[in-house]
Amino acid sequence: MNELHQYQKPESAEALALGTDPVPAGPYYQDDYFALERESIFKRTWLNIGHVCELPEPGYFIVRELDFANASILVTRARDDVIRAFHNVCTHRGTQLVATDSGKRSTFTCPYHGWTFNNTGELRGAPDFERFYVEKQDCGLHEVSVEVCAGLIFVNLDPSPTQGLRDFLGPFVDQWEQLPVARATTYSEYVYEINANWKLTYDNFQENYHLRFIHARSGGGGAVGEENPFGYPIRYGFHGDHRTQEIWSNPSPVLSDTQKFAFGKLIPALMQKDALQHPFGRSYWATFPNLFMIGTPTQPFVHYVMPVSARKSRGVIRLYWVGEDTNASERFGREFSMTMARDVHSEDRRVIEAAQRGLNSGALEHIHLQSQEVLLRHLFTRVDEKVQAYKKALAGGAV
Amino acid sequence: MRQSSLLPGGFETLEPFAEFWAADTAAKRAHCRDISNESSRQDFYDAAVRLIPLALEYLDTRPLAELGDSEQRLMRLVLSFGHVAMAVELQGSEEAEHAQWRPFMQITTTPADR
Ligand code: FES
Ligand SMILES: [Fe+2]
Repeated sequence: MNELHQYQKPESAEALALGTDPVPAGPYYQDDYFALERESIFKRTWLNIGHVCELPEPGYFIVRELDFANASILVTRARDDVIRAFHNVCTHRGTQLVATDSGKRSTFTCPYHGWTFNNTGELRGAPDFERFYVEKQDCGLHEVSVEVCAGLIFVNLDPSPTQGLRDFLGPFVDQWEQLPVARATTYSEYVYEINANWKLTYDNFQENYHLRFIHARSGGGGAVGEENPFGYPIRYGFHGDHRTQEIWSNPSPVLSDTQKFAFGKLIPALMQKDALQHPFGRSYWATFPNLFMIGTPTQPFVHYVMPVSARKSRGVIRLYWVGEDTNASERFGREFSMTMARDVHSEDRRVIEAAQRGLNSGALEHIHLQSQEVLLRHLFTRVDEKVQAYKKALAGGAV
Repeated sequence: MRQSSLLPGGFETLEPFAEFWAADTAAKRAHCRDISNESSRQDFYDAAVRLIPLALEYLDTRPLAELGDSEQRLMRLVLSFGHVAMAVELQGSEEAEHAQWRPFMQITTTPADR
């Protein structure tokens, strides 16, 4: 018998410090709570919205919608190679400047009256501008804070963030920079809309309790097994607002013939790109508020859950890869890996919506969390701290 | 005489499956799985399962950018096989139910699409 599993060990002091009381249900469906989260968290926290591989050279741009803030963000790479982000809003009368979600262009012309902006944000030209009562240099696009870590692009809607991205991510920075995602040049992506609160959605991916029930067929038993039937992780970590787990690895997972075959086809390509061996193969990072990353080399996914409203969210799941498909085997391995993850995630989406429907009824005042759901408790604790502080500041007239 | 072969030599037995399954993007291949019925999945799976390793061995001998039409079609069939294998080997009798939920996870782009 190997070392004791987490569920056989006493809980850590850090975990116990979070308490054991039930958690209020209201924050998982109520509009007023969400309005506070939006102001106290989402409008002032670093949020991942893309990857530098989408802007491989000067002139490329992407546009991302942040529904919770009714904001559309334009991210550019200009000739100086600097990545900048702007509100995708013409500074004349507010028209949305760019209507496509990505492309290559070094200037942007507003469809309304033809104001043209450089991809560095300056207003470059405007028809009949002499008739305005303002200077061109005062009409640049409104900048949004943007920083990159391990290739991942983060924006922060706070005009002067209290913390830079690296300080915010703390110990994750060094770890992530050793991962293939930091060198990724391409990705497989699927996205979803879900009628569920962002925390309820995110929480599903923070516990392994559901694995054996929801993913009995698709899950492959990689993280659950006879020795560890509920899939307890090897270890949890708490890092400020963020958390981690080291996922338990079943020494004899049940894999289908094609699963074995497909991983066998993917692994040589990963090896060749030095993307197979790294110290974080079973690591899982939950970055506040809404981002996950998994180190698994064969399914290296990054997933964020963007809130839309109290009971609606949007998820983006990407498997980041190094280099284009080098041959047919790698192409097959990558597509199969995505297909597998998508089967699993569609099972998650379905059950999360069902949970939301139940909560929306208001029948429950509280939800109960067991020891393996400690990461959910940590997220709620951290969210609620910020919400209550904001509420207090509001009441005190400080906001 | 046959006019032109749909698939490279040695893979003729897969030709009847090409029209439906050799779709050109990952999203379309996933969709083929969603709208197929059990017997068409099983037929394709049974016909392909032993040929897939050979097909990859064959396709791996040339750069992806240089695949001709019939080779490209074979590549797509191999990719579709992966989707079908999830249904046949893992979802089994739950596949029809599962197919109702999968389309909500919308595939937008993959390296194979570009
Ligand atoms: S609103 Fe953009 S040019 Fe007038
Ligand atoms: Fe799950």
